[in-house]
Amino acid sequence: MLKGFVIDTKEWLLETARIFRHEMSLVFSDVGVILFFFFLPIVYPIIYSLIYNPEVTRDMPVAVVDNSRTAMSREFIRHADATEAIKICGYAANLQEAKEWMADKKCFAVIEIPSDYTEDLGRAEQPQIQFYSDMTLLLRYRTFTSAIADLQIATGAQLRQMTLDDLGMPSTGEPSGISSFGFPMGDTQQGFASFIIPGIVVLILQQSMILGIVLLGGTRAEQRRRLKGSLPVTGDSMSPSAQIFGRTLCYTIIYIPLSIYILHYVLHFFHYPHEGAVIDYILFILPMLLASAMLGQTLNIMATERESAFIIVVFTSVAFLFLSGLTWPRYAMTPFLSWLGDIVPATWGLEGFVRINSNNATLGLVSRPWFWLWGLTLVYTATAYLVTRWQTRRN
Amino acid sequence: MTPGLLNVIRRELRRLTSRPIYLVGIVVVPVMMALFFIGMLDKGLPLKVPAGVVDLDHSQMSRRLTRSLDAMELIDVVSSPIDYHEAIEAVQKGEIMGFFMIPEDFERDAVSGRDPQLTYYFNLSIYVPGSLMFKGFKTMGVTAAGGLVQTELLEKGAPEALAGVVLQPITVNSHPLHNPWLNYSYYLSPSFLYGVLELMVFLMAAFAITQEIKTGTSPLWLSAANGRIGTALIGKLLPQTVIFTVIGLGINSLLYHWNHFPMNGSELWMTVGMLLFVIASQGFAVLICSIFPNPRLALSICSLTGILAFSLAAFSFPVEAMYGGMAIFSYILPVRWYFLIYGDIALDGWAVYYSRYYFVALLVFPMVATLAAPMMKRALRKPVYVP
Repeated sequence: MLKGFVIDTKEWLLETARIFRHEMSLVFSDVGVILFFFFLPIVYPIIYSLIYNPEVTRDMPVAVVDNSRTAMSREFIRHADATEAIKICGYAANLQEAKEWMADKKCFAVIEIPSDYTEDLGRAEQPQIQFYSDMTLLLRYRTFTSAIADLQIATGAQLRQMTLDDLGMPSTGEPSGISSFGFPMGDTQQGFASFIIPGIVVLILQQSMILGIVLLGGTRAEQRRRLKGSLPVTGDSMSPSAQIFGRTLCYTIIYIPLSIYILHYVLHFFHYPHEGAVIDYILFILPMLLASAMLGQTLNIMATERESAFIIVVFTSVAFLFLSGLTWPRYAMTPFLSWLGDIVPATWGLEGFVRINSNNATLGLVSRPWFWLWGLTLVYTATAYLVTRWQTRRN
Repeated sequence: MTPGLLNVIRRELRRLTSRPIYLVGIVVVPVMMALFFIGMLDKGLPLKVPAGVVDLDHSQMSRRLTRSLDAMELIDVVSSPIDYHEAIEAVQKGEIMGFFMIPEDFERDAVSGRDPQLTYYFNLSIYVPGSLMFKGFKTMGVTAAGGLVQTELLEKGAPEALAGVVLQPITVNSHPLHNPWLNYSYYLSPSFLYGVLELMVFLMAAFAITQEIKTGTSPLWLSAANGRIGTALIGKLLPQTVIFTVIGLGINSLLYHWNHFPMNGSELWMTVGMLLFVIASQGFAVLICSIFPNPRLALSICSLTGILAFSLAAFSFPVEAMYGGMAIFSYILPVRWYFLIYGDIALDGWAVYYSRYYFVALLVFPMVATLAAPMMKRALRKPVYVP
């Protein structure tokens, strides 16, 4: 009995090796697969980086409605113009005119200074400056508000000293009190690219692999139809487990160098946050590659021809991006969506990788997502096995 | 309507109903994605960010500070790590998004005017909750400080009304026009839904056209249209135009009526825009298929651009801040123009006059496709399928 087991195992390993070799040659002889397996992971991170690399938006045009027209109000406007975010584009006669400029996209915001600005300051009453911001892009507003806050603090400090002097109060400099300081973590430059790229690249790994796998699966389905039966060469006669393991081995071996390129070199070249040890995130990403390979082979159940890959896989990138919690945190999702996110390998891959990469966590600290990835690998291995067995038996 | 056009439409309707993939691509996927987004549409901001408080003081004042933090709309204090290292580890594990530190002897220093310092850490690797947490922490820091300065000034004998003025000599009131709640979903949901719609219009138009080349039926298609490429294309795409426009309008009513997104302008023009947006996206696909009359290439290019549209069309990151070379690409995507129309008409409520160029831009796509269509005719006459 032991002898039989040894022979079976040897047979199985030989089958796996044959499948592996054959799949490799298929990958490299199919332009479509090369496009997904190599072009997409190599070029996309660079394109995304080029889109977001400017990180911040600066010198946005702002109109002024100055009802005070005094030296003090002009000084405030000069200070506003000097901020990184604001560039004064002109003086409007009234709010109506300024809003027309806004509709015409000549400016994205309006500063309105009240007519008694200087008088109020002199009387030590708080003058109210109005700031109207266009809201068609949230990032613009965000940049504006932090500029306005700084402006208010800077002008305030200057004016406060004046007021205290006028009151004859014996204050030297700032009144004492509690101070507070904030430190950003993960994305210390607070840029848009530094936040979005480390997450997106993980999703690119998963999606490009699944696209390629479904394209290969579609090709096999077409060939089966054309040959009216099973495929002797691609191994329909071999055991389903040898098929899925042989193919998974092929995809994973291709994707390990790609992962190092994406997770290490891309982030390094473009100066994105890049902490963490290489060994940690390569070990971390391995089960995600395995789970994605098995998920792809499970999705092959819907691949009846080459082109189906586009229609059933491409749109999922958008859904997966959302489910991953990168744009909308997972704790704020409904239980159903959060469960749906749980079964996508990239969700856990992204979560763990971002923490290793941006927050300098170790593999031990991201063990929860890591175990989830191994769990998904097991589940999708089972489903891939069932799908492959069904497809092979049917013919 | 010429008999040729009717022929092609009849032929196309038979094709569309003959295979489930058309139903999936044209109806199931867009409708599923729309319903998928309902899950989050009702909430504008992900409030109650999980946070930690490292209280090294354990005084009455520090406990009051912790309670006020927890009471904030933005913050949910879920853990109290004993020190900085434990707090950092909790961030790395993902249990909290950041933490607030109250130093030792905080109460004593504050009361005796020795200027204690509060520090806070917020994780920006997930941007939206990270910046919300920053906002909450900063407010708390300033409020705590402000409360103390005010007390101090009052003690020094400043009139009460003046104390506030000294604290903040001028106020700048921000008016986020038409979105005072800073609802993030107003940007996320339409951009995702319109983006998915564009992607599926691209793919299904390219699929329907190149499938004829793949199966070698394109000469039959052309002859049903009496050999006129214009008739052939209109007849083939018209059924899809109708279905996709209906789905698009369904998405709009989901947004503006079901979820009460702002509709400050003319809904009629949003509707006209939707029709033009679908036609423009089909025009884009026709252009790609004319240049690459091959199923794999055409679908690949449609997929790659359709996915890039989510970043390139500048819903979140403004075009004017992109590198010039990149910004050009965002102009060749129909969804950008429809999103601009959304911002102008639905959100800002400007008159349609201000969006005139966006409508013109949408009209340019079918015009360019018309110019490119003759190239496709050659490929349709002699179909060659390269897998």
